[in-house]
Amino acid sequence: MTNAIDMQAVNRRFGDAIALDAVDVTVPEGSICGLLGRNGAGKATMMSIIAGQDRPSSGRVEVLGQEPFENESVLAMLSFVRDNQRYPDDYRLHHVLRIAPDFAPHWSDEVAAELVDGFRVPARTPIKKFSRGQLSSVAIVLGLASRAPVTLLDEPYLGLDVTARALFHDMLLRDYAAHPRTIVLSTHLVQESEALFDRVVILDGGKVRVSSEADDVRDLAFTLSGAADVVQGLIARSTVLSTHTVAGLMSATVWGAVDDEARTRARDLGARIAPASLHELVAAIGEHDPAPADPAHDEQKGVRA
Amino acid sequence: MSAVISTVKLHLNRRETTFLVPLYITGMVAVFSVLISLVFWRSGSQPGSAEWIQGSQSNPGIVYALLSFLVYLGVSSVATTFPFALTLGATRRSFTVGTLLWAAITSAYVAAILAVLSVAERATDHWFVGFYVFDVHVLGAGDIGRLVTIVFLGVLTALTVGGVFASAWVRFGARGPQLIAAGVVIVLAAALIVLVPAAAGIAEAFQLWWLAVAALVAIALSSTGTWLLLRPAVVR
Amino acid sequence: MFTEDAPIFQQLAARIADDIVAGVHPEESPVPSATDLAVFHQINPATASKGVNVLVDLGALYKKRGIGVFVATGARELLRTSRRAEFRRQYVEPLVREARALDIDHATLRQMIDDEESSQQ
Repeated sequence: MTNAIDMQAVNRRFGDAIALDAVDVTVPEGSICGLLGRNGAGKATMMSIIAGQDRPSSGRVEVLGQEPFENESVLAMLSFVRDNQRYPDDYRLHHVLRIAPDFAPHWSDEVAAELVDGFRVPARTPIKKFSRGQLSSVAIVLGLASRAPVTLLDEPYLGLDVTARALFHDMLLRDYAAHPRTIVLSTHLVQESEALFDRVVILDGGKVRVSSEADDVRDLAFTLSGAADVVQGLIARSTVLSTHTVAGLMSATVWGAVDDEARTRARDLGARIAPASLHELVAAIGEHDPAPADPAHDEQKGVRA
Repeated sequence: MSAVISTVKLHLNRRETTFLVPLYITGMVAVFSVLISLVFWRSGSQPGSAEWIQGSQSNPGIVYALLSFLVYLGVSSVATTFPFALTLGATRRSFTVGTLLWAAITSAYVAAILAVLSVAERATDHWFVGFYVFDVHVLGAGDIGRLVTIVFLGVLTALTVGGVFASAWVRFGARGPQLIAAGVVIVLAAALIVLVPAAAGIAEAFQLWWLAVAALVAIALSSTGTWLLLRPAVVR
Repeated sequence: MFTEDAPIFQQLAARIADDIVAGVHPEESPVPSATDLAVFHQINPATASKGVNVLVDLGALYKKRGIGVFVATGARELLRTSRRAEFRRQYVEPLVREARALDIDHATLRQMIDDEESSQQ
């Protein structure tokens, strides 16, 4: 399988601030990859660089085998609408629908029409006056109707109601199955979207903390909960991502897979143990104070390869 | 190349702003010019008299009214269109070239409108009552070749200068346009300091084509500046 | 729709297996395509294929090239057999553990099972 996106040792600094720190990420062709992490983790910067709208301070980026920056042939194969996308003055929906196909060789009018209809995107209101959800709808229309071989969806859920979210998932999966492509979807609403992914990348503080197949995420970390002293004892020699304590009870998210031994030990001591779900893992990583020498980093190497 | 054409289409996508607003403005100016002429008429001035013609031909209202709109158009062609062009997949290079091409098309369009209206004005003996709206000194006073050159270069200058200010804004935020403005003021002041002793001689030797050359220089500098500013610009 | 207790593809396979055992998908009838399952459950198409493939590997489903996926003859019995093997771990083990935690003695537990069986007759 070839890689649609290949980032090697990518750094991006803005003045003193480090937005991306030694990012190595590959996304194989024909997958839906979740790009997860807290606000400010570097998701938008990473997408911007993949989309050729920004350049790394150092490192190498290839999209469909070529550097994207100022590369017309790559950009024609790529779609990226940022969550705070600005549109030209006095634009309305029809302006967007009229010009977008000129830049997107695989554009589908049917997909656009069905989404516009389903989302009830207003035709007469200037885009400047759109609500958050309506702006997200336009971004989804652009992203999905372009049928771009590499489609980057930046926080597509912002302001979408339940019906719109279901419509988005429905269209995404149907059109993706009929016209396979590579989709990267960034979001901090993990529960909303985790079933869509076959790959996930978790960023925190500009660093890649997890880059793996979605099914393997369950083996990355587990949660333990029970009496505080019991949990305390069980996690003593583990790499703990986060803990919560309340009135003698404790839950902890810990790096590593649940094996039979751990399961037996926990059960014998009356503690509950379960693989961490994706959203638990993202939350725990977001809480984790990135210590300088982070043992978790070595542990996930196997998964990253 | 195709992205250059697509960028031109992206600009022309704002059909009303590109094609109709210049007509509205021209129409408004015509109405105002007529109203002013009426005031002069009522105050005793006679249409057709030498004094009347001299007075109304000196009215450059059309230029001021169009100029501010055209600078706005130039600014918005970059400020809000650039981020969207990148989103659609234009390169910075194709955006810059496409924007210049669009500016040339718009300039030709405005020049054509004013040329037609000017010809019509003269053909109807100044709208049958001696009103001068387009047949004015600043537009060449009836010389069509001169009118087209003046309007084309003037509009192109306004659009590209607006564009370079917007590029500075895209690149550096609010400080950008201020820096350019400061730079222009300093260069002009320096030129003035150097040239003032010879001012009388220069005024004596002044030729209209000097302005054309100045416009071409401004257009070239603005377009190059736009390219240099946008190339490293990051949209956030 | 899916829980976090097991990977989604396993839960999907279990659900299709349930439907085969319950007779919703009779033998030699087609089951929904992976794409349809993905859209219906709003899950990744690769995950859906993986779920279907679990049952294909088991021999409960088979693929007809270019047509679709069908329930194999004997699938129902096959699945029932494999579930019988799982029955003790999945149902009896937690039952006994919970009974012990509640101090329900062996005789009472037996009585409960007998009563339940007769009421479902």
